[in-house]
Amino acid sequence: MKFLFRLTLALGLGATAAAPALADLKVATSLTDLASVAQYVGGKHVSAQSLCRGYEDPHFVPAKPSLMKAIQHADVFVSTGLELDGGWLPLVLPGSRNPKIQPGAKGFVDASNGVQVLEKPAGTVSRAEGDIHPLGNPHYYLDPKALEVVADHLAEVFSQLDPANGADYAANAKAFDEKMEAALEKWGKQMEPYKGASIVPYHRNFIYFADRFGLKLFGTVEPKPGIPPSPHYIAQFAEAMKKSGVKVVVYQPYYNADASNQVAKRAGGVAVEIASEVGGLPGTDDVFSKFDAMVSSLAGALSGKAGQP
Amino acid sequence: MRLRTFACLFAALVCMPATALAQAPGSSGPSSSLFSNLANPAIGMNALFTGQAAHNLDQAYGLGFDEAEISLISVVDPYWTFVSNIVFVGNGEVDPEEVWVRSTNIPSVQLKLGKIRGTFGKHGLLHTHAFPFIQAPVVMSNTVGEEGFKDAGVEASWLTPLPWFSELTGGAYQAIDADDEHPLDFGSTQHDNVPFLGHYKNQFDLGEATTLEVGQSVLDGRGTDGNRHAAFGADVTFRNVPPKNSNRHGWILQGEYLQKGTFANGSYVREPDGGYASLQYRLSQVWWVGVRGEQARNSLTDFMVDDTGAGIPGKVNRGSVNIAWTPSEFSFIRLEYSHAKADVGIHPTDDRLLIQMSYTIGYHPAHAY
Repeated sequence: MKFLFRLTLALGLGATAAAPALADLKVATSLTDLASVAQYVGGKHVSAQSLCRGYEDPHFVPAKPSLMKAIQHADVFVSTGLELDGGWLPLVLPGSRNPKIQPGAKGFVDASNGVQVLEKPAGTVSRAEGDIHPLGNPHYYLDPKALEVVADHLAEVFSQLDPANGADYAANAKAFDEKMEAALEKWGKQMEPYKGASIVPYHRNFIYFADRFGLKLFGTVEPKPGIPPSPHYIAQFAEAMKKSGVKVVVYQPYYNADASNQVAKRAGGVAVEIASEVGGLPGTDDVFSKFDAMVSSLAGALSGKAGQP
Repeated sequence: MRLRTFACLFAALVCMPATALAQAPGSSGPSSSLFSNLANPAIGMNALFTGQAAHNLDQAYGLGFDEAEISLISVVDPYWTFVSNIVFVGNGEVDPEEVWVRSTNIPSVQLKLGKIRGTFGKHGLLHTHAFPFIQAPVVMSNTVGEEGFKDAGVEASWLTPLPWFSELTGGAYQAIDADDEHPLDFGSTQHDNVPFLGHYKNQFDLGEATTLEVGQSVLDGRGTDGNRHAAFGADVTFRNVPPKNSNRHGWILQGEYLQKGTFANGSYVREPDGGYASLQYRLSQVWWVGVRGEQARNSLTDFMVDDTGAGIPGKVNRGSVNIAWTPSEFSFIRLEYSHAKADVGIHPTDDRLLIQMSYTIGYHPAHAY
């Protein structure tokens, strides 16, 4: 018994000694994009980490006990909200035994607050439409403007929790917004020639991006959210694309590339793998480089100069 | 004075409805209902139907209603979350399987109070519709219960400061007699009889995709015979969920050993024991397959009977294979075949084919990893 006690104590002390230098606020997030924004806003006062990796489907993150451990001592948890993390967060948050980040506590942030939510279901919500999001489309992080809202929100939260550095958080958020506005102008120019063009995402998660840059969505590779496409559906859908002259299919690294490629091939178009979350593909290390890559890939595909035939 | 008071009261009563009526049209208050439903709990329901063709059993082949489970979950206040699972069993009984509250504001510790599923082992923590195979391992119903150890009590689980997930759980429960659902006799009415549980779980990330989980469990209490009865368990699980294919591929390799026994006359007597090893493999978003081998000793199961139909304890080995089709997250159909060999009874072997259908509506929380 004494040995066990000593071993536990030694391991605990060892772990403490091995821990990296502590930031003022330890921030954990559901998504890599939110961690990226949190790091910009928090600067040197914050260490931010995401529980979901950029190349992992944010709908289906396994609720590993190690995720609970990872946020046991977090000061802030930033949830995507709109139930995108509803499949795993209700297990991980209570499992962390961290009162500071439970819903209702000061350290819990719903990042969707203040964001203009699209595709809110009107009337009855039915799963006959697939695994829909009853509170609206949660993929708002594909709109650069929405991330400005998130940045301002996080600056407020960080300032409340760490008033000593409040001025830095406000200044960082302002700088983030300005950088995003400048980048938006650049991306807008790149996408300008393709306004009104149609694309086909695998899942209905491009509405915010399409809305921002004037693209149209021509259905999805999956027939309904969460329902994989059958060969019959692929054939029918590709035919419909062909008739309408739609040639670009986009899919994330965590979706079935085969189905997207089949649809594109049958429609005589191209399928492009795009990281819609930070870290989804090499070279998408923060929200700015992610949008750089997205805009560049899509513009290339729509111009007929990129993608897999 | 009395007359004046009476007059005022009368005037107030007469005027009150008029005032209320006058306020109603322009009222900004809760005019439609006095009772808000905005804080209602999240509600979900699961229904399970099972069919079985087993030539050794004296029962007609066909599909039957297994159970329907209603779950209600809500935050009570800043300190507690309420969870309940009320099960309507096929025979018409209603079982408040789980009704408990969980603390939300104690650092590193979580309290659970109420009618709970004791944190014992791995398989015993699963709801019926989350069993990896239609049939629970034989050893379960002979040691802690087919659906695990369920009793009223309190549990405290501590997430230790070790650098990996390391959780220590202790529990104390109400004295409870042995019955079909609770093979453990904890029914002593002596004041010192407080059945208790200990559970230690460690989980390690072996890489991005694979995890290792190791658990040890003990349950102990005094029975109606005055002796101490106990159950012990050990489990190990390797699980693989590739991050890029978390909804399409992966596998679970799991093994568990359980044992029940009695401390009598200064010595420990081992009673039923056994274990299983299983592999589940995900072929695609909608298809799973599984294979399991198991052994239970000194145990009872439905086909191990004598020529009068009475159950006889003995050793049974069973192998099972199954395939499941999960068209969405909210329904599945699975087919299972099992072959068993027993060393007692009038049926040396048993073969059976089962089919099961599960449907979920409303809110259903994710199952534990």
